[in-house]
Amino acid sequence: MKLSRALAISRKEVRHILRDPFTLLLALVLPVLTTIIFGYAIEFNMRNIPTAVHDGDRTLSSRTLLESFGSSRYYLLEPATGTPEAVQALSADRARAAIIIEPGFEARLRSGRGAKAQLIIDGSDNSAAGAILGYLAGVQSIAAARLLDPAPPPSAIALEPRFLFNPELNSRWFIVPGLTVVVIAILSILLTSLTVAREWENGSMELLLSTPVEPVEIIVGKLLPYTVMGLAGMFLIYLGARVVFSVPFAGSHLAYLLASALFLAACLGQGLLISVLLRKQQLSMQFAMLSGLLPSILLSGFIFPIEHMPLFFRILTSILPPRWFILASRQIHLQGAGIADIAQPLLMLSLIAAALVGLASRKFKRDLEP
Amino acid sequence: METPGGIGITLRELRKRLGTNDALQGLSLEFSEGKMHGLIGPEGAGKTTLLRTLLGLLRADSGEILYRDGGAPAPLAKLRSDIAYMPQQQSLYPDLSIGEHLEFFKTLYGIADDEFTRQRQELLSITRLAPFVDRPAGQLSGGMYKKLGLMCALLRSPRAMLLDEPTNGVDPISRREFWELLHELSSRKILIIVATAYMDEAERCAEVHLIEEGRRVAEGEPQALLAAAGARGFDELFLKNNAKEARP
Repeated sequence: MKLSRALAISRKEVRHILRDPFTLLLALVLPVLTTIIFGYAIEFNMRNIPTAVHDGDRTLSSRTLLESFGSSRYYLLEPATGTPEAVQALSADRARAAIIIEPGFEARLRSGRGAKAQLIIDGSDNSAAGAILGYLAGVQSIAAARLLDPAPPPSAIALEPRFLFNPELNSRWFIVPGLTVVVIAILSILLTSLTVAREWENGSMELLLSTPVEPVEIIVGKLLPYTVMGLAGMFLIYLGARVVFSVPFAGSHLAYLLASALFLAACLGQGLLISVLLRKQQLSMQFAMLSGLLPSILLSGFIFPIEHMPLFFRILTSILPPRWFILASRQIHLQGAGIADIAQPLLMLSLIAAALVGLASRKFKRDLEP
Repeated sequence: METPGGIGITLRELRKRLGTNDALQGLSLEFSEGKMHGLIGPEGAGKTTLLRTLLGLLRADSGEILYRDGGAPAPLAKLRSDIAYMPQQQSLYPDLSIGEHLEFFKTLYGIADDEFTRQRQELLSITRLAPFVDRPAGQLSGGMYKKLGLMCALLRSPRAMLLDEPTNGVDPISRREFWELLHELSSRKILIIVATAYMDEAERCAEVHLIEEGRRVAEGEPQALLAAAGARGFDELFLKNNAKEARP
């Protein structure tokens, strides 16, 4: 391999990129824009859950109970005139939950027979239902403290949860580092998937193959500018995450740079392999979108935890670069990881990147045979 | 440019199937050293397949290609960097200028800086493209585009050149200019093989090889071939040949 020839390919590629506003826009503006839009749009923390309320007891105790719900910020109480109306609000999608307090609530409370109220939750939205249920325990203990005199004795076994790394469970802190993976995966796979296919479609590959240039020089030459561009895109997203969403960065910047470069190399290798195999821009683009988007969103741990997946998918995710980068990224951002802590993701990313670039080089055709 | 030594090529019974199409059907031809050869045939005769096979871009299914250098057999791998190629289809980068193309191919061919400066000046002067050196290839006229392709091929001072329909889609004046350029190159005694579907261009070559459906129809000096067939031009020669084949 001659470095001068690879650099000549790089220079040519940089000229293509600089003269094509679409590529530049895609590479630099899209990542930031997507991160900001998605960062605001995707919110796992639920606030002000619309909750229909029917207070059939109308006593001090029943009002105290409802206040405990209302003051928690999680529930936004909407009075209903009766139990059927409260249920109706759920089915009409005006409410996600309904609280029904039957007459006699206070009387039962006073007599020590145990007062009961009913909470009806819209089960059609799984994640919302889970969140509502999650907040319930907290509200319940506040209400008990207010209503019972003397206050109930503390339970013999008290579990006091405390969240490390992300004490408020701020979902943006969780999402934005993951989002970087999705944006960079799609972008870098897409951009490189077009490069070799474009040479085939334009006919320039025939001329290139008639020169002394080696496939590996073409590949290295094409990867270089996109690596730089991808790293620039990642830096912009990093800035956006820090400045706009105040995502903490507890770990090592060097580790993050290393993980980013390896993840990028793997994505670029994937794009290149697609381009080398398919040789058609349209087809490459579609395949790049599909193979970039699906694994990075569904099989990376970005949204769905990998430990909960069936064995087959757990094994499958381990050969997908997004899984390892998300793991490294979250550990670095929130847990303060250094290079040694993310040795496994780094090793896996290196292996996957080497395999993809190696495969693309092997599959690169040196002739025009169909 | 110095006078280069001779590369010659002999084909024996070359066969190549592309998909369901028999592109070359036992083709035997002789390309002798230092001459301009015209590979003449209608569309689909197998000209492009033959040139690609000669360059190693396609592999023949059977038959042999014998390359000679100065009369002695030489493998293609050794001659590869001495053979320039100008593909038929548009193969340059529309957004790169003439100057940027020359610079790009200079590095790919590994040409030294001072040699490149001399070559660049000479090529821009003989093609008369110097005033357009900053113009992107996508904005060149058909003739200028072909000349740029030729310049990129000539940059490495080749000892053999394979040109695939270099004047296809070019206006008559640019075509004449292009052929003048080729004659200028031919006077340097390098092997030139020009594939063309324009029958009138055959007469400009030292030797012509008429092929049709992947088979040789005739080969020799143009005037001798026409005289033997009693034809005034090569289009007439092809027509006569077809009529002869059609007769039972």
